[in-house]
Amino acid sequence: MIVLDKVDKVFPGSNIPAVKQVSFQVDEGNICVFVGPSGCGKTTILRMINRLIEPTSGDIYIKGKKVSDKGLNPDHLRREIGYVIQQIGLLPHRTVEQNVALVPYLLKWPEENIKPRVRELLDMVGLDPDEVAQKYPFQLSGGMMQRVGVARALAADPPIMLMDEPFGAVDPIVRGRLQDEFLRLQKEMKKTICFVTHDINEAIKMGDHIVIMNKGELVQHGTPMEILSEPANSFVKDLIGTEREIKLLELTKSGEIVNKKAEIPETVRQKDCFISVIDPVQRALETMMKKDSDLVGVRDKDQEIGTISWNDIKKLINKLSGDA
Amino acid sequence: MIFASSILQWAGNIYEKYFGFVDFIIRRSERVVEYTANHFSLVITVMFFSLILWISVGLLISRYEKLANTAFGIGNILFVIPSISLFGIFITIPMLGLGRTSAALALILYAMMPMVRNVYRGIKSVEWPIIEAGRGMGMSPKQILFQIQIPIAWPIIFAGIRVTTVMITGIATVATFIGERNLGRFIHHGIARESADMIIAGAVLVSVIAILLDYILGKVEYKITSPGLRKEQEQS
Repeated sequence: MIVLDKVDKVFPGSNIPAVKQVSFQVDEGNICVFVGPSGCGKTTILRMINRLIEPTSGDIYIKGKKVSDKGLNPDHLRREIGYVIQQIGLLPHRTVEQNVALVPYLLKWPEENIKPRVRELLDMVGLDPDEVAQKYPFQLSGGMMQRVGVARALAADPPIMLMDEPFGAVDPIVRGRLQDEFLRLQKEMKKTICFVTHDINEAIKMGDHIVIMNKGELVQHGTPMEILSEPANSFVKDLIGTEREIKLLELTKSGEIVNKKAEIPETVRQKDCFISVIDPVQRALETMMKKDSDLVGVRDKDQEIGTISWNDIKKLINKLSGDA
Repeated sequence: MIFASSILQWAGNIYEKYFGFVDFIIRRSERVVEYTANHFSLVITVMFFSLILWISVGLLISRYEKLANTAFGIGNILFVIPSISLFGIFITIPMLGLGRTSAALALILYAMMPMVRNVYRGIKSVEWPIIEAGRGMGMSPKQILFQIQIPIAWPIIFAGIRVTTVMITGIATVATFIGERNLGRFIHHGIARESADMIIAGAVLVSVIAILLDYILGKVEYKITSPGLRKEQEQS
């Protein structure tokens, strides 16, 4: 869907390239997260995809079409790509409704289609259209502004979204909620998303695919599981931090390690010590501690299918973390 | 009775001393109307051309930064030339001579500094993320200018327009020396004849025009400024 081929970017007046020989591919319907310290080139890559800046060399393709093609007007290209930035950049002199309707207006949608679409979008991002549509940005809280920013980017239903720290400006609790809601939306929308963050936890949570950048170079890319279980070098290890095993437990579904042959003891039933197959293994651990048990039962919907014991979890950690 | 009549006399004295100009205005109402109309029309003419010219220049230098300092330099130099000599320079130019054209041109040059500066400052006050978002949504540079930068800059541009209008109304009095028959003439002749009434009449009428124009512009500003920006200003 989106392909970068040996892309370089050197900003004028600088000797050090901001992006060096970066190649990768984002598959359709995936969230690809770029993560790395500030100045690593992740935002630069994003802004090259919708041609806010031009690469010094190398090519970028969207759906097989080169974005730098002369026939392609960059303004028109950008109207087909949703764009969310950390500072949000809502137009302060326009109402929420007008802000969300920005791209449909640029695309000259008929007036009667725009209003219902705006209401639908506000609803979708968890805002009450009757309450906020006529408000101005300064009347909104930080979390509401972020939601409006996302709604604006989604307005014309672009197949591709570029999101630069879209939940960066809100407190951790609101951020977590916005992430969950966005993942839920994405399940239905199946957009191809490039997502930039400096927070490895956000990357692991949001990403189908993670691209780790440092000093303009691509250090490692792969699924969150691959990155966590086989960090390419010490830079990636440091980025992941000390809680690698716990993060692995968050990513592994209970269904993957459930012991299906084991009987479920009566004590487990008495304590109601059950989790679902789609819960992460971490939930099994939490449940054990809460219910003071070293065994949890696993259910698939209403069916009891087996158990996970403390030993099963230890085995998993040893297997995943290898030499670490 | 004696008490009441003395109060009346006292009030009469005060009136004669300080409000003699009211008598003057009533007595010379024909002149007053003529001069006021001339004054008013000169200010309107100057503002009309200044708006077109200096807003364009302000927008131009906000796009081509390199020109900004040159434009500010020229504006500042023009602004510090004493008005009486600027009028004087214009009447020496053939074709112009004494009269309205010279007066208007000189005043338009005066308007450059406050107008251009405020347009530039207004456009530059628009924060980067707002422009970035506009570009990212696929707005063309022209759309960004007219739909984002100018509307957000309005309050600052308008502050410049209001200051300039008041200023031009004041300086226009000096144009009486190059043949303008406006309210400056009352002040000029009042000084020559040592008539306080005439001077005050001229000064008060000039102030009335300035305050009236500023009031109207204030109303217009309120109308065309987005509530989203208005509220923001009131809050901070």
